[in-house]
Amino acid sequence: MSIDRSKELSVRITNAERDRVNFELFNVDLSLANSIRRVMMAEVPTLAIDLVEIDINTSVLADEFLSHRLGLIPLNSEGIDKLAYSRDCACDNYCANCSVKLELNTKCDTDSTMSVYASDLAKFQNGLTLGNPVTRDAAKKGPLICKLRKHQEIKLTCIAKKGISKEHVKWSPCAAVGFEYDPYNKLKHTDYWFEDDAEEEWPKSANRRFEDPPDKDAPFDYKATADHFYFDTETVGNLPPNDVVLTAIETLQRKVADILVGLKDENVETSNAQSGGFTTYGRTDYDNNGGETPSGSKTPYGEFGGGSAWN
Amino acid sequence: MPSAQFRTLEREKRFQNPPKDHEEIYPLLKDAIRPHLGSFNALTDGPDGGLLNLAVKDIGTKTIFDTNDNSTSDRLGNKLKIRVDSVQLVKPSVNSNDKLSINRKMLPYECRERMITYKSRLLLKVSWTVNDSPEEFSEIREVGQLPVMVNSNRCHLENLSPEELINYKEESDELGGYFVVNGIEKLIRMLIVQRRNHPMALIRPSFGNRGASYSKFGIQIRCVRPDQTSQTNVLHYLHDGNVTFRFSWRKNEYLIPVVMILKALIETNDREIFNGIVGSDIKNSFLTDRLELLLRTFKQYNLYSKQETLAYLGDKFRIVFNATPDVSDIEVGKEVLKRIVLVHLDNNADKFKMLLFMIRKLYTLVAGDCSPDNPDATQHQEVLLGGFLYGMIIKEKIEEYLQNIRLQIQADINRGLAVNFNDRKYMSKVFSKINENIGQKLQYFLSTGNLVSQSGLDLQQVSGYTVVAEKINFHRFISHFRMVHRGSFFAELKTTTVRKLLPESWGFLCPVHTPDGSPCGLLNHLAHKCQISTHDSDVSTVAQCLAKLGVSPAHTFAAGPNVCCVQLDGKIVGWTSHEQGKVVADTLRFWKIEGEHGLPLDLEIGYVPPSSKGQYPGLYLFAGRARMMRPVKYLPLNKKDILGPFEQVYMNIAVTPEEITNNVHSHVEESPTNILSILANLTPFSDFNQSPRNMYQCQMGKQTMGTPGVALVHRSDNKLYRLQTGQTPIVKANLYDDYGMDNFPNGMNAVVAVISYTGYDMDDAMIINKSADERGFGYGTVYKVEKVDLSQSRRRGDPITQHFGFGTDAWPESWKEKLDDDGLPIIGVKVEEGDPIVAYFDETLGKTKVKTYHSSEPAYIEEVKLLGDDNADQEGQNITIKYRITRQPLIGDKFSSRHGQKGVCSRKWPQIDMPFSETGIQPDVIINPHAFPSRMTIGMFVESLAGKAGALHGIAQDSTPWKFSENDTPADFFGEQLLSAGYNYHGNEPMYSGATGEELRADIYIGCVYYQRLRHMVNDKFQVRSTGPVNSLTMQPVKGRKRSGGIRVGEMERDALIGHGTSFLLQDRLLNCSDYTQTSICRQCGSILTTQTTVPRIGSLATIRCRRCAQKLESYVQKHGYADDSDIWEDGQGKKFVGGDNTSTVAIPFVLKYLDSELSAMGIKMKYNVAPC
Repeated sequence: MSIDRSKELSVRITNAERDRVNFELFNVDLSLANSIRRVMMAEVPTLAIDLVEIDINTSVLADEFLSHRLGLIPLNSEGIDKLAYSRDCACDNYCANCSVKLELNTKCDTDSTMSVYASDLAKFQNGLTLGNPVTRDAAKKGPLICKLRKHQEIKLTCIAKKGISKEHVKWSPCAAVGFEYDPYNKLKHTDYWFEDDAEEEWPKSANRRFEDPPDKDAPFDYKATADHFYFDTETVGNLPPNDVVLTAIETLQRKVADILVGLKDENVETSNAQSGGFTTYGRTDYDNNGGETPSGSKTPYGEFGGGSAWN
Repeated sequence: MPSAQFRTLEREKRFQNPPKDHEEIYPLLKDAIRPHLGSFNALTDGPDGGLLNLAVKDIGTKTIFDTNDNSTSDRLGNKLKIRVDSVQLVKPSVNSNDKLSINRKMLPYECRERMITYKSRLLLKVSWTVNDSPEEFSEIREVGQLPVMVNSNRCHLENLSPEELINYKEESDELGGYFVVNGIEKLIRMLIVQRRNHPMALIRPSFGNRGASYSKFGIQIRCVRPDQTSQTNVLHYLHDGNVTFRFSWRKNEYLIPVVMILKALIETNDREIFNGIVGSDIKNSFLTDRLELLLRTFKQYNLYSKQETLAYLGDKFRIVFNATPDVSDIEVGKEVLKRIVLVHLDNNADKFKMLLFMIRKLYTLVAGDCSPDNPDATQHQEVLLGGFLYGMIIKEKIEEYLQNIRLQIQADINRGLAVNFNDRKYMSKVFSKINENIGQKLQYFLSTGNLVSQSGLDLQQVSGYTVVAEKINFHRFISHFRMVHRGSFFAELKTTTVRKLLPESWGFLCPVHTPDGSPCGLLNHLAHKCQISTHDSDVSTVAQCLAKLGVSPAHTFAAGPNVCCVQLDGKIVGWTSHEQGKVVADTLRFWKIEGEHGLPLDLEIGYVPPSSKGQYPGLYLFAGRARMMRPVKYLPLNKKDILGPFEQVYMNIAVTPEEITNNVHSHVEESPTNILSILANLTPFSDFNQSPRNMYQCQMGKQTMGTPGVALVHRSDNKLYRLQTGQTPIVKANLYDDYGMDNFPNGMNAVVAVISYTGYDMDDAMIINKSADERGFGYGTVYKVEKVDLSQSRRRGDPITQHFGFGTDAWPESWKEKLDDDGLPIIGVKVEEGDPIVAYFDETLGKTKVKTYHSSEPAYIEEVKLLGDDNADQEGQNITIKYRITRQPLIGDKFSSRHGQKGVCSRKWPQIDMPFSETGIQPDVIINPHAFPSRMTIGMFVESLAGKAGALHGIAQDSTPWKFSENDTPADFFGEQLLSAGYNYHGNEPMYSGATGEELRADIYIGCVYYQRLRHMVNDKFQVRSTGPVNSLTMQPVKGRKRSGGIRVGEMERDALIGHGTSFLLQDRLLNCSDYTQTSICRQCGSILTTQTTVPRIGSLATIRCRRCAQKLESYVQKHGYADDSDIWEDGQGKKFVGGDNTSTVAIPFVLKYLDSELSAMGIKMKYNVAPC
């Protein structure tokens, strides 16, 4: 499964738009390519509304439902690296270093229905574009938050924080990440179901134009591995696509580095058979985690202790 | 080609600017509840003053005398004739004690919110005369408040436009058809009953139980009076050839020889009777023999003239009919005939003729020349409508009211009070002494569904008449109004024949929409185009038309199945030949559809052709109420015809225009979907599914957490489910829009991959994409309402001592976290178990108290409503608090597609680990392919395909069943659409594993399916217990989730544990976690009941001794002369003992002790041998 190291890793961008990039990745392992995809989707930090302090909400939407809608509004996250994670910040709850404050203060006074858009969110100035609601429509209004009828009012403060999509999808920079390899199915990883002829019946992948059609007479190369990957990264607008890709790679690198650090001798705990074979691997935060115990270590039968019960 | 539209903007505009025209309400929805509304409106509407006024006319006059014993003395005393002249029902208004309200209208929303009844005053005009004097007194009495049907002609909402309805705080398309009783919406459900005014031939073994000579043959007719009350008459065939007439009156059965009735009806002779039954079939010796016997046996009564017979009858029924002494026997006899015999006819000659017809039909049945009629077939059924039933009960209560007046006067006479009929004051006193609250009795009927009746109303059940119109979602709500029940009598029947789906019900009852399980086949739903007639059609021209067509008049010399009897609503109107009969039927049909001869379109022309041993032939016309009707297209004129179930059996109706055959089909269905109920029509591509799956979907559609309504702020239902992220389905039948279902979305479009992935989709589990969940997939809310009633703690009439709000005393400051200054909860605040929800000041204690929140599930305060009382002059003592409980999808929550494919969420799988397609699309839901082969829900595949194509092209897809054919398959139609969008024709896509990025070995079927979230959620179901409450008698854990009880480890579970040899677990479950007890036991006598604890002495601990094995100190000393001080022990009563110290402690289940005690009470001793092991 190893990659031919003689060939150099390379990237080719085939199409770049404001919110989308198509690129190809050559000479990397499938696992690495997929890791990039996964990190792009789940671990690129962005900014999203995480805390809503509601003063007045007389709209038809319930508080928690309105908050949920606010959370999903994409906010401009360029320069997010300057913002700290709230959990890492020295402040008590949140501060300017770890959050962006937005305010929504709107009331309907007309007889007709009033629409409240993301662009109605007023940001407390921080001198940056960071935290501005993303608008892609012609009228620059952004997503619809809710509708108000006469005398209905919303007054709330939103605290946007930095986070990753692993925690909640609102922090996802990506709408969808297309991923493909081997458009001719030369590797026979998959089996196309067909009635008469798979080649006839299946739509052709657009990525076929980048590859040579298979030689019908050539014997099947059972040693071949996938080494040419087609990505199609589409963002929701909070980060430019190149930022997403680059941050993803950076994040991936850091994760790998963390593993290296973690695997150093002094950090590795020896497996302790006496305590039931459980290791903590440096995790010590179970007790203050709301009573969640790692299985086995704090059960009522603790004194029987792992294997000893079987003796 | 099938087409559908989203109509999103149209709907949005409609919501923002509700139409100002009543006609804008969805016509199909209005049709759906029409039977309920129409039948209620008929009570007070109509040329003859409505059914209620017909009813009081039928009740007639009651005669009362002011002497006590009216049987012996010649003098009868003063005579009072009292009757109810007319009935009036006004529109609901506020209580007359209310001096404050300017708007005197009482509106349904107020009743729902205040949890009271939507009712209005029922007024009776009572008239009486004394001693037959021409002067008539009358008085208008208010007899309670009668619950009124919402949207009826006695409701303020009648014929309002959506805009006005919204101003009245209703749904924009409020349909009504139900009652509001104590704030709960109740409706009277429709019942299947025997078709009225048509004699039905029956063979019932139980008929033979009535006596030695009774046979199983009978003719039953359910006669309906103009006021819609009914009386069933049965003719029994006796083994010797005789016929008796049976009827029930006040729940008692009476049998009369049929000839006696015949002779009493009109002045007749044996010859006339003979001719009327036999006609020209004098060679039929079977018939003539029996008829001779029939007439001969009657000779023993020695009754010849009409008067004689009437007098004889009157004499026998005088007591039963409560006749007063001033009425002659002949009059009583006439009364019997009027009230009992063929009550749908008002003319005795007609009754006579009909009775002869019935006798002939009975003899034909006995001879085997005609077949019995099937009472389970729709052909012989009609629907008992709620409004009519309601009217029947009111009629009976009015009659009881008159009886009560008589009883009250009787009581006054007995007590020796001055009785003076001429004195209005006395009459007023009588009125005021009797129970005049008829309204309350009907309120009881509506809220319990129990029928309290003297007569039984000719019905077979006493309970289960009403149901709650639950608003779980709109599907459920609308289904209530289309529901018809066969009667709870049939639910207990062992045979399943009544539950069978018969071809006769085609187009009237939905073959799909019936629940499975015990009510299967008994609880049916009307096909969506099926209507029930609620008014009598105009039949004035029928006789004319028949005469024109050469039908001989009714008094012709004709009888028997060899000629064609023409009947209109159970009245013989003529005779003709069979050949001519067919022509008459066909012509009548042509004429009524053409509409030129004044025949009503809904006239049912049931022509039964002559046959060999088939149904008794004839031409039976029906135009009355309560018939099922449905529209079809009449081919000769290409116009709409309205069919009934009686005629349909003998007609040829093509299902599709393609199958019309010349000279065979006279009609064609407007659409094949007309046979399905509203809900069954909404199942997409149901023609591709295995039929039981469509039944399941009809059930699950009703359990879906959807949108119950949009005027939720004006409702106070106990529990409401609401889906916050509802969508319009991409794939929907066109009827979906016609019924306005989009106003109440019931689910979400989901990207569904059919793949076995991760193993968490085994056994009908489904995996939900965690990100989809976080974006709001299936997010729902439950609203619960709690009523706080401070007046509950005091007796009625006592002064108010508890007031909402805080008092001046000291109370915990922490209450202010949840409560506002007025003592009511803050809107939007989160409450958990034990939190205060309302504060009130108790004057008697001088203390501020709070009521607390009792539910382990945290909730948010949504609304607080202050409720006043009816008089609006008292301090508020009632509030309702509406809680909002958020219910995001959890593991264990139930979901289903619209194809009876339900599943439980087993995991929320991270987005990055979900499989994805080349374009990066990831499924919201993963289901296992094993869900399909055995269930054969191909419709779900088609929906997936159509949904995917629709999503890709941005179009809605029509999923009406039977739109495709073998040559034009949906697979091709939607396949082409997919192909043009650049997707695989069959809906498959190559997918990649989210975890490894590797391409999956097979391509995956992925598409868009509309998913419903069902209301069964783990949060309402999970049960866990470590320790908790126990039963005080057995010390075993109690059962039930509400009481935090345990789950029983029953015999089978025990067997399984034994089978696995897990003895430790077995002991743990059955003993340690149940009623484990340690108890003392005497080793010597082996008893656990005789041991007791001694009174501890100073310096030593209490010990356990056996009282039975111990000796009393005195007797011990007597024997041994001496007892060591340390051996002596004392019980609680100060008695001293020696010995009995051979005790020990053992562990037993506590029930053993209980058993021992019970046995000892029976004089049985249990002895245990104790030994170490």
